[in-house]
Amino acid sequence: MSTADALSQLEDQQGLLTAALRAMLEGKWCGEGSAAAFLQAIDPTLPDLECSPSILTSTRPAAADPTLSAYEPETQMPRQSTSWTCSACSLSWLLRALQMAPDIDESRAVAMIGSPNNINATYGLMDGSGAQIRRVLSDHGLTSSQGWLSFDQAYTIYATAPGCMSGATWYHWVAVRGVSGANLSIANSAPGYKGVFSTLSREQFNALGPFSCIWITK
Amino acid sequence: MNEDDTTSAQIAQLQQQQALLTRALRAAVEGRWRGEDSVEAYLYALDPSLQGQVQPDPPSYA
Repeated sequence: MSTADALSQLEDQQGLLTAALRAMLEGKWCGEGSAAAFLQAIDPTLPDLECSPSILTSTRPAAADPTLSAYEPETQMPRQSTSWTCSACSLSWLLRALQMAPDIDESRAVAMIGSPNNINATYGLMDGSGAQIRRVLSDHGLTSSQGWLSFDQAYTIYATAPGCMSGATWYHWVAVRGVSGANLSIANSAPGYKGVFSTLSREQFNALGPFSCIWITK
Repeated sequence: MNEDDTTSAQIAQLQQQQALLTRALRAAVEGRWRGEDSVEAYLYALDPSLQGQVQPDPPSYA
């Protein structure tokens, strides 16, 4: 290889490294246009990468969190009894799983959210962002956050905290138990609705969103 | 500019880019994705034309 060819190859590799860096900054770790894709373009002889999105946590010892230490992710989720109470089911599951209201059920959650102004048979939950769900959580001493998140953001957050979320295209609320492999693990009161059962993949998330995500911060 | 000068200039540019990539990787390892001395800052130093084109979605740190 001539010096000119070697320099040209190095320039091409620098370009691919820069593209990989941009992909990392944009949260594209796997798939088309991702850091993994550019890495394999730099060195096509690399064996197939077992790509997984990064989950970064502090190496410091975790402070004891009485709320999350009581959390039971395997808490049962009963089927919803009506077509419009998915948000109430998600809220009541969250309160039961966190041991904040062990006896709460779907109908009591409807009352707490506030029927008919905040939740009703015509529209379901009136505020799709989940503001009234957060208000009820706050009434139980729980601090939560809300955001319209990408799959990677939701995956990272729900890996360490439970919550609930609603896809605007899905028009359905579910509680989030955590993560399972590359998917979100959900407590779904309508298993099978639009093909979703107990997990939500990246593809399903992108197809059924955008998602308003609520998660417990303490 | 003769061939030797051109080659020297190319090598100097590659060395500068290598240094910027190294700093960017250090910033990533240290969790600085945006702002001063960050991955984003070094990315724009590597390719100024990317400014305004990138949609950052950096990792969350629990």
